[in-house]
Amino acid sequence: MLALVRVLAEAAATDVQQATETAAKNPILPTINEMFWAAVVFLLLWALMKFVLLPPITKLMAARADTVRGDLQAAEAAEAQRVSRLSDYEAGLAGARSEAIGIIEQARSEGDAERRVQITAADAEVATLRADAAAEIAAAKVRARAELTSSITDIAVGAAEAVVQKPIDRASQTALVEDYVSRSGSQN
Amino acid sequence: MIFGLEFPPIQNLVEWPNWFGPEGSWYGFNKIAFINVIALVATTSLFFIAGRSKSLVPKGAKNLVESAVDFIRDGIVLETMGPEGIKYLPYLVSLFFFILITNIFEVIPFFHMPGNARMAGPAVLALLTWAYYIAVGIKHQGPKYFINAIAPAGVPKALLPLVIPIEFLSTFIVRPFSLAVRLFANMLAGHILLVTFSVLCITLFTASLLAIVLPLSFAMLVGLTGFEIMVAFLQAYIFTILAAVYIGSSMHAEH
Repeated sequence: MLALVRVLAEAAATDVQQATETAAKNPILPTINEMFWAAVVFLLLWALMKFVLLPPITKLMAARADTVRGDLQAAEAAEAQRVSRLSDYEAGLAGARSEAIGIIEQARSEGDAERRVQITAADAEVATLRADAAAEIAAAKVRARAELTSSITDIAVGAAEAVVQKPIDRASQTALVEDYVSRSGSQN
Repeated sequence: MIFGLEFPPIQNLVEWPNWFGPEGSWYGFNKIAFINVIALVATTSLFFIAGRSKSLVPKGAKNLVESAVDFIRDGIVLETMGPEGIKYLPYLVSLFFFILITNIFEVIPFFHMPGNARMAGPAVLALLTWAYYIAVGIKHQGPKYFINAIAPAGVPKALLPLVIPIEFLSTFIVRPFSLAVRLFANMLAGHILLVTFSVLCITLFTASLLAIVLPLSFAMLVGLTGFEIMVAFLQAYIFTILAAVYIGSSMHAEH
């Protein structure tokens, strides 16, 4: 009986030992040494991250965000200034345009008046010149007729004296030639 | 042995002998501990290099770090906790980078082992998060935090006997457990998949007849490697955003 109990106890002890070894080698269960190193390494990383590694990164990121924000605000201010200047420029341009139109209209009316004055003066001058020219033409015509009369008289008297072989009274012939020239002139 | 192909037992895939310290000791340093240390050194170096540059225009490591911090701050902290949660940014950034880098060792040559495919890392992170959000709750609400957490305002009194146990289990038991198991199980599953296809490729390379399926297996291995990179990032994001949600829910009673 005692031997049987001893055999059973030994068998049970062997089973417990095998079960313990199996549990110890179970690949799913965590091992104490790996947990120790994982804990040490991670806690060290956490401490470093909190006090040494992350602050410069977040500080620089915040500085960049501030810079970007500042630049954006400056760009928005510049845009507002540009819009304001553009509206000022457009308003000035509209004023200048209406002023230019006024100046052009005034110049045009002044030009028209001046042109009318000039035309009137030119017309008067032309009339004067025309009258002078007509007078000159009339005088020239008179002179030409007198010269023509004299020449014709000389020729006619000379021809007649040559035909009759005696002197002819020039004064009496001159009246005839003048009458002839006058009639010839009236026929032209 | 499957179709003449021999796959290693799961212990061989995830258990690593100590490099120093006796087996079973609390300080034994193995491959997983080394990956954790590399995650610390890599994160520290990255942030140190990024923080050294004073240029307002980020590039290189600075660009990477700032993008990540910006992503965690705007995409996680402000979304789940609002501006009040900014003071918890260091913890969440540490979580994200630590998990991401230890996960990414899944696809790094000569390592090929995600640190979180062992339960220890996820368990520690989940326990720390659990302690952290309880501490935040006590800080913001005092001892009433525990009452507010398990008996939300507005619940009819008749339902309290049902709601209190559910909320207690949900808030204080299931949350850390689910955080740890989700991360661990996803990374272990990915690791097993990659090992399976790697072993398959190696074995098929020497097999005569079955070698015709080697290209398929190799393509699967390449595809899964890319997928695991995405999973590494995704799990880091999920763990971090859930930690933020839990911390945020502890800040106010109405949550």
